[in-house]
Formats: sequence, C-alpha cells, structure tokens
Amino acid sequence: MSVLDIKNIHIDFPTSKGVVHAVTDVTLSVEKGRRIGFIGESGSGKTTTALAAMRMLANPGFVASGEVHLNSLEGDTNVLHLDEEGMRRVRLRKISYIPQGAMNSLNPVMRVEAQIWDAVVAHEGAVEDLQARSDTALEGVGLDPKVVGRLYPHELSGGMKQRVCIAIGTCLTPDLIIADEPTSALDVITQRHVMQTLREMQAKIGAGLILIGHDMGLMAQSVDDIAVLKKGVLVEFGPVRQIIENPEHPYTKELISSVPLVGGESFLHAQAAPPKGEKLDVPLLELDGVSKVYGSVTALHPMSFALDGEEPKIISIVGQSGSGKSTMGSLMLGFNDPTAGAVRFKGDDINRMTAGERLEFRKQVQAVFQDPYACFNPFYRVNHALKFPFENFGMQGDVEVEMHKACEAVGLDPSLVLGRYPHQLSGGQRQRLIVARALMLSPKLLIADEPVSMVDASLRATILANIHDLKDKHGISIIYITHDLATAYHVSDYVMVLYHGHVVEAGPPKEVIGDPQHAYTRLLIDSIPWPDLDRDWGDAGDARAALDVLAEIGGTPETVYRGDIPGFTLGQG
Amino acid sequence: MSDPTNAAAPETAAPDMAGLTKRQLKRMKRFDNPWNNPKLIWGITLLMGIIALGIFGRIFWDTDLVFTGAVLPSQAPVGFENLRGQVGLASSPLGTDVAGKDLLALLIVGAPNSLYVGVLASLIGMSLGIFLGFTAGYTGGRVDDVIRVGSDVMITIPPLLILVVVQASFGDITLTMMSLLIAAFVWQSPTRLIRAQVLSMRESGYVQMARLSGASDRHIMFREMLPNLVPYLFGSFIANVTTSIVTAVGLEVLGLGPQRVPTLGRVIYDAIDSAALTRDMWWWWGFPTILLMVMFIGLLLINLGLDEVSNPRLRRL
Amino acid sequence: MENTFARYLFNRFFTLFLTVFIAATLIWIIPRLSPVNPIDAMLGRMASGGGTIENSGAIMEQLMERFGFNDPWYVQYWLYIRNTLTFDFGLSTSSFPTPVAQMIGDALPWTIGLMMVALIITFIIGNLLGALMVWEHTPRPWKAVIPAMMVFTSMPPILSGLLLMYIFSSTLPWFPLNGAYSIRVEPELSLSFIGSVIHHGVLPAMSIVVVTFGFWALGMRGLMITVQGEDYTVLAKAKGLKKRYILYKYMIRNAILPQITAFALKIGMLVAGQVLVERIFAYPGMGKLLYDAILTQDYPVIQGVSFVIILMTALAVFLVDLLYPLIDPRIRLGG
Repeated sequence: MSVLDIKNIHIDFPTSKGVVHAVTDVTLSVEKGRRIGFIGESGSGKTTTALAAMRMLANPGFVASGEVHLNSLEGDTNVLHLDEEGMRRVRLRKISYIPQGAMNSLNPVMRVEAQIWDAVVAHEGAVEDLQARSDTALEGVGLDPKVVGRLYPHELSGGMKQRVCIAIGTCLTPDLIIADEPTSALDVITQRHVMQTLREMQAKIGAGLILIGHDMGLMAQSVDDIAVLKKGVLVEFGPVRQIIENPEHPYTKELISSVPLVGGESFLHAQAAPPKGEKLDVPLLELDGVSKVYGSVTALHPMSFALDGEEPKIISIVGQSGSGKSTMGSLMLGFNDPTAGAVRFKGDDINRMTAGERLEFRKQVQAVFQDPYACFNPFYRVNHALKFPFENFGMQGDVEVEMHKACEAVGLDPSLVLGRYPHQLSGGQRQRLIVARALMLSPKLLIADEPVSMVDASLRATILANIHDLKDKHGISIIYITHDLATAYHVSDYVMVLYHGHVVEAGPPKEVIGDPQHAYTRLLIDSIPWPDLDRDWGDAGDARAALDVLAEIGGTPETVYRGDIPGFTLGQG
Repeated sequence: MSDPTNAAAPETAAPDMAGLTKRQLKRMKRFDNPWNNPKLIWGITLLMGIIALGIFGRIFWDTDLVFTGAVLPSQAPVGFENLRGQVGLASSPLGTDVAGKDLLALLIVGAPNSLYVGVLASLIGMSLGIFLGFTAGYTGGRVDDVIRVGSDVMITIPPLLILVVVQASFGDITLTMMSLLIAAFVWQSPTRLIRAQVLSMRESGYVQMARLSGASDRHIMFREMLPNLVPYLFGSFIANVTTSIVTAVGLEVLGLGPQRVPTLGRVIYDAIDSAALTRDMWWWWGFPTILLMVMFIGLLLINLGLDEVSNPRLRRL
Repeated sequence: MENTFARYLFNRFFTLFLTVFIAATLIWIIPRLSPVNPIDAMLGRMASGGGTIENSGAIMEQLMERFGFNDPWYVQYWLYIRNTLTFDFGLSTSSFPTPVAQMIGDALPWTIGLMMVALIITFIIGNLLGALMVWEHTPRPWKAVIPAMMVFTSMPPILSGLLLMYIFSSTLPWFPLNGAYSIRVEPELSLSFIGSVIHHGVLPAMSIVVVTFGFWALGMRGLMITVQGEDYTVLAKAKGLKKRYILYKYMIRNAILPQITAFALKIGMLVAGQVLVERIFAYPGMGKLLYDAILTQDYPVIQGVSFVIILMTALAVFLVDLLYPLIDPRIRLGG
C-alpha cells in the first residue's frame, strides 16, 4: 500500500530573471515501510519535490499543478487541498522531516527534551507524563535521556544533534519520514551511525522514508528505490540494484562513476615521467617537531617530516574534522605560529623571515582552499585574484596572456569566466580558477586543503585531475589535505592518517588505504558508503561497536609505519 | 541550509518570462540594481531640499532678518492671525517671534547649520572609528583589548551630560567646536562595527588568498577589506549624522550650544522659554520642528535604503 | 565552565568601574581646561556682588574649602574622587545651603520611575511590532500600517514632546501641561495621588515611547529575517507547532537576545533623551534639576546630576549584562 502518491507535480519559482521551473512533471509513489532515495545535484529539485509534500516550499516557490496524495488522510487525500490548520496536523504526525543542517536545527535556548515535549503537545494536547515520552524517544536513538534530555543543543556533538532530530521525527510514529541530507555535515564514522539509527527507527515504526542526497554510495547502502532527478525532471526511477548495476540514463551513469572507489579504476590518466624540480641540499619542506596547542586543546602533537622537492610528489594528510589536518595546513602556510618546533622551507624557518624572504616564500608556496565561494573578493572581478599575485610577485610575461593560458589549462573558456564577478560563476568554475591561479604562479609547493569537498560530485574528479596535472605537467609538489580516503588513494604517493593530532598510520596509499592495519584506519574505510550493494555496511549495532573502538584508541594512539617512498621521510617516534 | 530558492536558480533550465505582469518585471529589475532603491532616493531628495533651502534662501531672502528687532514681533504667518487678531504680513511669510526675528530667515540660516554640525561630527567620528576599528581588529592582542574596553566605556556615557559640563565650564562655543565635542561621542559604534567586520573578514577566504599573494597589511586593509565595508560605513555614517543632530538639538534646547548663531534647536529653545505654547504661537516652534522632522525622515529613509543595499534579504520581491 | 562565567562577571564589573571612574574624571578635568574656570567665575561674581547675593560669603567659604583651591591639583583630585564616591556633592549655590545630594535624592525617584516605565513599554512595543513586520501570518492591515509608524523613529524626544504637548495639552485639554502631580493633591500614598501621578506621566512617557519604539522595531525586523531563515525555525514548522508558539518560543525568543545587548548600549542615548523630555514637561526629575542648575549656573548641582545620571546608566548596563546569561544558555554555561 502506498503512503504517498505524487502525481504530475510542477513547481515554479518566480525570480528576478523570470520563472524557474524547479520541478517539472514528477510522478512517484512511496510504499509503506520502503525507503526511497532522491538523488541529484544542487538545484535538481530533489528537496523541493519532497518539501512540496509537506507544503513547506521556500518563498516564493509554489506548486503550479499536480497532486500530492497522503493516503492515510480521511476523505480528500490531496494535501494541497488542506487548510492551514489541517496541514499543521499532518506535519510530524503523518509526515516528519529530518533537516540537513544538524548544527542549527534545534532551538538554541531550549533544552533537548523540551523540544520533544512541545511537538507532542502541539499534536496531542496536554498529555500526562511528557517525561516518559521524551525518554522513550531519546532512548530509541541511543541517547541517555537522563543526561542528554537536560542539555542545551550547543552542548551536543553534531551526530548527537542529528540523532535528537531523528528522535523528534519519529516520536509520533509518522507514515512518512523525509530526511534531507541528514548526514551531510558529519564525519563518515558518525554518518554511518546516524544513518543506521535512522534506518532502525524507520523499520521499527514501519514508515516510508524519503532520503534526499547527492552521494550514490550512501544511497546504495541506505535505500530500496532510487529516483534520479536532473534539472527538475525525474530521469530514472527503479529499485536500487537495477539503478546501480544497470543504469540507463547517462546522468545516472555519471553520478555512479563520480564516486571514487578505493582500489577501483583510477580517474586519472597516467603520464610520462613528470618534470623534475630543482635539486636542493636541504628538504623543500621540513617540519621539525612541530606542535600546536590552543588553550587546553592540543590540535597537533609534535610532528616531523621532510619533503624533498626534486621528484614532485603528492602527500595526502587524511583525517576527520578535529584531527588537526587543517591546523597542519595553516602551519605550513605560515598563517599560524607553531607552539613548539619549526617549519622550514628550503632550510629557512618560515616564521623568522624578513619581508623580502617572505615574499619569495609566498611566491613558491601556494594554496587551494576548501570554500571556492569565499576565495574571491566579491568587490572585484575574478581577474583580480589572478592578476594581483602575478603582478605583486613581479613575474615575467604578459598577465592577460598568462591568465588565458592558465584558464585553458584547467579546462575553462577564458572568454566565459574572465571579466566576471565571482557570484556569476559556479562553485566548480571558481575552484578551477583558483587552480589556474596556482598554475600561473608556478610555485614549488601547493597546499590543497579539502579542495573538492564543497564542489558538486560530478566536478570533483575533473578538479582533482587538474590538481594532479600540476604535479605531472608542471613539477609542483602537493600536500593534499582531505577527509576522503578514496580520492587520497588515487592521487597520492604517500598517505598519513591523522587522529586527534597524532599520525596513526602512514605509508604508500596501496598499503595504508588498500590494506589498513590500524584500527582507526580500518574503521574509517569500513564507514565509507560505496555504491556496491554486496558490501555489507553493517547495522546499527556495528556502528555502535565502531564507536567503542574509537573510545579504546583514546588520546595517545600508536603509529603504524607502512613503508617509505624516496624523497619523503616521516620522523619516527 | 535547506533553501531551495538559492539552489534552484543557477543550474536549472532557463527561466521563462511569460506569465509575469509588467509590474512584477519592473520590481524585479529594481531588485537587480540594489542602489536603485526608492527609499534611498527619497531620503536623498529630502536632504537635498534642506540644502536647497539654505542656498536659495540666501539668494532670495534677507538673512539679516535673524537679528532681534529686525521685523515686527509676534506676527502670525501669512493667512493666519495671532492672539491679538493681527493678520500675518507678507514681509514675514512664516511669522516672527516675540523679539522681532523673522522665522523664514531663521530657518534659512538655522537648518543648514544643524545639518553641518551633524555631518561634521559624524565625519570626524567615522574617521576615528575606521582608524580604531581597523587597528583593533587587525592588530589584536593588547591594543584590541584597550580599544574594545574603551569603546564599551564611552558608549555607556550619555554624551549630552558631558557636553552640558563642557558648556557650563566654557560658556559660549562655536558650531565647529560643538561638532568636535559631539564627535568625541560618536566614534564608538563605528569602531565596534568595523572591528567585528574586520575580525570576520580576517579569516575569510579572499583575505587568506591575498596573504598568499604576498599582499602587504595596507593592501589587505584598504584594497581587500575596505571596499566590502562601504555599505556598512555609509549606513553607520548616516546613523551617526542622526545621533549628532539629536545631541546638538538636545544641547540647544537646554539653552546651551552656540549662543550667537541661529540653529533650529535654539529657535525651539527660545519658543519654549517664551511660553510660545501657551501664547499659541505654533509657528514659532512648529516650523523648526517640521524642518527637523524632514531632516530625520530623510536620514531614516537613507539608512533603511542602505540597509537593503547591504542586506539583500531585507529586500522584498 | 565556572571559570568562563567568573571571567565574564569580572569583565563586566571592571567595565562598570572604569566607566564610573572615567566619567568622574572627565567631569573634574573639563572645567579645569576652560580658560574661565566656572568656580573662579562664580567666586568673582560673588566677590563683586558683595552683599547683593544672599549668603554669598558663606557660599564662597564653602566653595573654597570644598575645592581646596589652595592645595596642589592631586590633592584637589583626591578630595573630589573621595567626595564623589561617597555621594557628597557639596551644597547648591542657587538654593544655598541645601546639599546637592538631597536635591538629587528628591528628583531621582521621578526620573527612575518615568524611565523604567518608558523604556519597558518602548522595548516591548518596539520588538513586538518589529517581529510582526516579518512574521508571515501578520494580518495584512498591520503589515501596511507598521512601516508607516517608523516615520517617528530617530526624531529627538523633545520634538515628539512638543507635538504631543501641543495636541493633547494645549489644543485638547486631556493631559496636564507640566509637573509630576497636581498641586491640588497631597503627595501621599493615596489613590488620588497615584492617579494624578499617572495622569501627569502619560505625556512625558509617551513622547519617549513614540520616538524610540521604531529603533527597536527596525532592529528586530532585521534579526527576525535572519531567524526566519534559520534551520530551527524551519524544523519548528515541520514539527507542526502552532504558529503563535513558533513566533514566541522560537523566533522572538532567539531574535530578542541581540536586542537585549543593544539595549545596554543604547541606554546612554535614551537617558539623554529623557533629560530633555523632563525639561519640556517641567517634570521634577533629574532633567529639570539639571536645566534649572544650568540657568542659575549652579555648578555643584550640574556636576552632581551629571555624575549620578552616568552612574545610573552604567549600573543599568551592568544589570542587563548580569541578567543576560539567564536568558542565553550559551553564555550561562560558558559555551
């Protein structure tokens, strides 16, 4: 029996440029107890379609035509015909919503249990024993009601907040749960735990589930059916196995192939021997017992390594948020002073440079940051970001010519991007411009800090290939900082896995990621959702057991050394 | 954030313009150019009106009529009668006060004076605020602490009271001196605002990019940060002009402020002092009040308009 | 956790102390920077006036002793600070020999009463209207009317005072023109006296409310627009909560927090406005006292009143800062 039937729905958004047809003629049904994944990139209409069922479209969007039937309603089942009060009663009681922004979804000034109580009261009136209701709901998602119930949202971790949202979303046993990228802000380990909790609760109350997402791997591990949306059109719909193993639409194929696999085929093209860098007596980059302490928190424990620049290499630093990987990035760029130890570039301590030396250091060490939206000054045309460093460093050649060449090298049409303002370009275009900028300056070393985590999945491979080309074609050594083991597996020559500011495992990627030895690395790899249906992602019990493993590792893990590569030495002990 | 509007716009199919009324299209066009803002334009028009009154008034009217006894005292405006039943004279179209000063001439001289005090005090306050805000936000550490605590302290002290003490000690002051004194109390808000903005911009991607490009501190402050602050600076400036005029008028209404120069506040002081309310000489305090209101409404509209320029979410489609 | 809160308390207290200290010092320094010291001037006037001013000899003696003019400046400063911190402001020169502290004591309750009423009303009305400007369920007529009310914003209270006085006191004799209570009732705890006080307080309070609620409304509007887009508001709606409940417990409850901080920063300006309103309505508070002192060049009163008003303002800011953690758990628990 179907819970929800969406029939020929059209959704429009009037904007300053005219009416945008966000969703065009989408028809599908959600069966009781079945999980459906809505997959597509940003702007594909996946969230908009789901929100239409709750009548919660953001202004100024509206349903232009079509029907949405919630079959448990009495009489007229079309939710679009309900009055305001009727719709309010449907929300949460019949259709619940688990939001994307786990960080901000809870009212910051209310205790957790009070946020469950007000939901219960809104639908059932003054009920006796609210405490028991919230306790049951919190216990269901594996949180201790005695402790967590009394806390305020800012005292919870991201995963806990999202589990509270699941508790709220299931406390009235709705017919349908809409989960809007519920794990997008979470680490892979937490992601698995939250996803398993959601599945467990959904199975328990027998509700239908719409899971909105962009990650085919997560979908493969979580849902029964997949609906692929592109530009507001439902391009493919079917059981998950059929979609993953026999995708028909080229867009579906693209989505599946954009998920990098550990061990799978590389998305990079092999190159002839890369050009050599200059030969030096001292390492290109050296960390000598570097550590960083913020107040009472040690972000990075003493670490030493030396990178030789002669043979360009990509060194990956892999870790989850809070592992200290971004701290390392800013230490290597000299944005932060180390608490102890020294960072040396070509033998000179980068925190003790004269103004002239510093300019030279800046010229030779460049970076690509995570957020392509923030990297351009909104006041200037994008040319400013490319032109200014080129001129400031007093580089040879004609700026305009070099800019055009660099844009072409990263696959951008200069006439389409140059001379525009940042907000007129997409995230992918901006990130490629930043890579082009690095190319123009031809540095010796590039720090790439999560360069693709905020870019749409289909573009990630292209941008990583652009970065990889910097090494292969232009002889630039690269430090690649990421949370994504699969991409690190493909691009890097050497991998370090960071946990709480310690290196837990290090060595060539085939060893470290292909055959992990340290419990933490194994856990990370087991937690990655792959678009492989025969791989068991485990159940909620496994996810909880994983957290116990983490607790065992504790604060001072051992380092597992998995072999060396020429030109890079990690300080041992 | 789950905001389908933002997400939907760039990647989806080309929007179609059919089905929109002309009026909607016009409003949307306005949406595209934030500076083409009706509130902003109206506000500027009102202020230009005050300035025009000052300029053309001097050309077409005799400003010497501001002196005591220049015209017949206690005359009503043209078309009205005073309590003695005398009909207003064309020679003093807005009436006169009990000392025989011509109201129109007082307004022509007084209104630009009030605006002058506001603009000058605000300009000085802003310059101080920009300097201190940048220093605090960019330098950090001890300097930041001192500036932060200093502005916290000075924002609590009501400027009017310190000015009263100054006035009581110094006696008569000039317009410019009053502006300087007021400026000492209007640098705190811009300092706080700019400091907060600089602190957040310091961590922003484009400032980090500029540092990577080997930019000097001066380049980062003036070329990367300052241009993005412009709407805030304008907004803060206008708010400060309002505050300064309010403070100046407040002083004048207490009978302080410049004694020999006509200002709108001074005219109101004289009116209250001579019991214009009980004598029913409404024109005496009414006209300067109306002019001040026009000035404040103009400033308010500019400020609301600027708010919408710098925060698109305030704009409505 | 304990530490953060203790530090917060200490910082607030330090700011309070510094504010009072700096204000007191400014009041001391300013007259000494003047080419014509007001006290010298006064002494000069009295000396030349001789017997024409009543008690002039006693006043002069009092002033000479009080300001310690024969001592070096640091002794004078020390005397001043000691006297000020013990609320000993000397004797008034215009109504000699009434102690300034006593005059302030008589005026202070009126000012505090009027100010509390005006500030609280304006804060509540302003924030409510600001919230209604943004709320999607606000009735249409309200949405049209509220923005028009913003015209009064940022006018100085004296102008609204004048207008209200003209309309409701001169033209329509609904409210008394001046004073805090009718001279026909005895100042005692009786119904007629309280009624008279309220009757007299309406116009002064209204002239403050009319011009300041817009400030809060506009601030609230911006904050509400932000809060409206927050994920917790979206989730509140998805939870099927009632719209009024969402408005109060989710939207206003969160948007009000920065407004309370702004309240602390704005008090200084509001107090200044009130001083002027009191002067127009001849309300027997600190404003009137200050105005009369300016007219009679009663320097000890000017000094005392200015100091007490600044002290009051700083205390109010301190109080708001102390109460703030109670309504924002993120500060309370040192988040």
